[in-house]
Amino acid sequence: MTRKSVLIAAVALLLVITPPTGLIPGWTPALATNVALTALALVGLNIIFGVAGMLAFGQAAFMVVPAYFAGVLERAGFSSGPAIVIGLVVGVLLARGLAELFVRLPGVYLAFGTLGFGFVVEGLARAFPAWTGGASGLVFSAGRAIGQEVWYVLAIVALFIGLAGYVLLMRGAMWRRLRTIKHDELVAWAVGIDVTRAKVSAFTIGCFYACVAGTLLCYYVGVVVPEDAGAQKSLSQIGMVIMGGPALALGPVVGASLVAWLFFAAGYGGHYESLVYGVAFLSAVLYTKNGLLGLLPQSWFDATPVKRLTATDDAESAAPSADPTRIGVCLRVQDVGKRFQGLVALEDVSFDVAAGEVFALVGPNGAGKSTLFNVICGIIEPTTGRVAVAGRDLAALPIHRRAPLIGRAFQVARLVPDLTAAENVMVRIDNITPDLSETERRMAALRQLKAFDLLQHADQPVSTLSIGQHKLIDLARAAAGDPVLVLLDEPAVGLTESELVHLQEVIRKLQRRGIAVVIVEHNIDFVSSVASRGLVLDSGRPVATGTMRDILADTRVQKIYFGALA
Amino acid sequence: MSPLSQAIVSGMISGTIYVLLATGLIIAFQTTRIVNLAHGETYSIAGLVTAAVAHAGLPVALAITVGIASAVVYSVAIERALLRPRANWPVSSLILISLAAAFLSRGVLLVVFGPDAASFKRIFAGAPFRVAGGIIPQQGFWLVIIGLAAALVTAQLLTRTRIGKQLRATAENADAAQLLGVNVDAARMISFALAGLLGGLSAVLLVPLISVDYQAGLGMTLRGFIAASLAGMSPFGAIFGGLALGLAEALVTTYFGALAQDPIIFIVLIAVALWQSRHVQFGGSVRA
Repeated sequence: MTRKSVLIAAVALLLVITPPTGLIPGWTPALATNVALTALALVGLNIIFGVAGMLAFGQAAFMVVPAYFAGVLERAGFSSGPAIVIGLVVGVLLARGLAELFVRLPGVYLAFGTLGFGFVVEGLARAFPAWTGGASGLVFSAGRAIGQEVWYVLAIVALFIGLAGYVLLMRGAMWRRLRTIKHDELVAWAVGIDVTRAKVSAFTIGCFYACVAGTLLCYYVGVVVPEDAGAQKSLSQIGMVIMGGPALALGPVVGASLVAWLFFAAGYGGHYESLVYGVAFLSAVLYTKNGLLGLLPQSWFDATPVKRLTATDDAESAAPSADPTRIGVCLRVQDVGKRFQGLVALEDVSFDVAAGEVFALVGPNGAGKSTLFNVICGIIEPTTGRVAVAGRDLAALPIHRRAPLIGRAFQVARLVPDLTAAENVMVRIDNITPDLSETERRMAALRQLKAFDLLQHADQPVSTLSIGQHKLIDLARAAAGDPVLVLLDEPAVGLTESELVHLQEVIRKLQRRGIAVVIVEHNIDFVSSVASRGLVLDSGRPVATGTMRDILADTRVQKIYFGALA
Repeated sequence: MSPLSQAIVSGMISGTIYVLLATGLIIAFQTTRIVNLAHGETYSIAGLVTAAVAHAGLPVALAITVGIASAVVYSVAIERALLRPRANWPVSSLILISLAAAFLSRGVLLVVFGPDAASFKRIFAGAPFRVAGGIIPQQGFWLVIIGLAAALVTAQLLTRTRIGKQLRATAENADAAQLLGVNVDAARMISFALAGLLGGLSAVLLVPLISVDYQAGLGMTLRGFIAASLAGMSPFGAIFGGLALGLAEALVTTYFGALAQDPIIFIVLIAVALWQSRHVQFGGSVRA
């Protein structure tokens, strides 16, 4: 058993044992049942908001939709069983459908869109009192047939299954994918993640939790009222996840218990509930990185220690062998032009890069080098011209489908800080070679890190590493899974003298593997030492192309690049 | 009395309030890129404070001044104490901070002012005007005039003056603006003060007509945001966005009943959110 599951078992045991003993004042079986079911819904919200970072403010609405459906069906003469099943199916299908809309909304628009959904549900519940009971609510009688003890056990078991589901789902490739999306969607697309699909699944899974937990809760309480769907509820649920510990398995349990108990404790003297809740919520956002659970020592949550695979044996053999199929032209850029509302960013840019060649893009700031990289990656669509990699026209390929062909290292390393170096590299491998097992992916990542002399940092979170190491890990990620082409955006910036020498070796290694490398770099000494040919851009137009020696000797280039000095 | 005219009258009144709230949200957004979810609290604070001071027997003019001042102080305090020290945090975290601040404010208001709704005497009393079969109380008439004038002046200030340009430059790139000599801290403070002023103004204009309670804030933030997103976050657009929202609400209420209001308005919100974000790619993190 891992430490995580021991922790979960301990907390659950506490939940089961505490209410009957009366150790904690106010912690009655009724309250504990309520908290366990709320926590179950929050496990879903934790997936949507805590892990994937979506600001979704509609969890409460998704909790009541299936219950309302079931209740209406019961009134129409259905018996409880089928009514509940139909209600759940409708709820999940609705969530799945809305997910398609919602995940396309960035940040705050998603927040208001989901809040809006809550208002729609609340409004509809009020607007059709003949079916929904209107403001006084819809009554469920089926739940009363079961005693409090049974409900309590049922709630705890449901919470357990929910937590087990969370632990099983939120790991490995899924975990890395969602954390990358939360941190940086552009990078997520660039390493080959279909961000929209991943967000839709996370949103739907999270809502599934809400549907099940909400139905149980409504049948337990015996009534559902329109406010249960409202903004107030959903917003305070986000608060609970934050207070407990977002992206931690037990965060929702801690958050729900904390808030329930605070409300109970504050409820004695009059109107202090909201105040106490507000103080707790604000303190959690301001002063804790990971809620109440985050205050515990980090070592308690360390992921299951992975068997330390000695990458040494395989690494030697795997690294330098060139792929014999990698010959000829790898990247062909043909007459590429890009205009932003009349502003010419690129015009008539054409060049080829062969397998194992290092090609330099040179030019002053604003010359269009980054725009060209963005066109090649698929972030920007060119106005004219075409880009082909390994003989394949890229026009029809969306950004994430280009990842197997193209790896990109960013100007400022864009890694996911709370993942380890190995996990950051694995994110790319996950999407390029999905057939590999988890162990094989880890092996591949370790081999890659070894080739970059980073093996000793493989299991450190990248937030603990230096800027130079970040750049190398970013590069290691870009080259992972053997792309045809690697794009390096100012790799030398911020590196020390010795790191520069290392970088040079690393680029040579990529060359030997038959990878074509395009490099944007201002450090002319460095570029000349690694690149054989290059292209000079000025104001989006090609000025000179040829061998590095030729283009550096070109007087026009000297004028652009070195200004009046030359 | 014609229902259409009456719907237009009440739509103009609530619409003007939404214009003011949207403008406040937009100013803060344009300088900090934060949608301040605590913005609506300026409305409930100003309303409750003004009512309390007026009930204490002090002149209404003084009560209004104190009320608006409290909203300004509150808004600046949010920026100064909560947001500015964390300017380098991701925007989504800052939005959550403003949400937490809204919850806390509501808790404080409940403890201080109690759960009951409060109001105070109309400033513009006298016989209501009759226009084309509709009845508009004098308070409502002046509310529309003063509110729209304030929104117009603010929009002018933001788009046409040097200060306005500095405020917006701050949002585009705070570091670059700082280097160019814009006092970024001052810009942020001015924008939140202005937002607080407009929030407070909306309260002192509307509360004599519709009483306010401690939990009014979040609803106001929501309405303000819908108007602002209808306007595409532009200060001049806010005038149309707010009025359109107010009129739509009033017409829906008149012809479909009050219960239809929330569902219809928020379906519009979802549609607008989809429309406004259609060009936002890669979660807004395109700068590579």
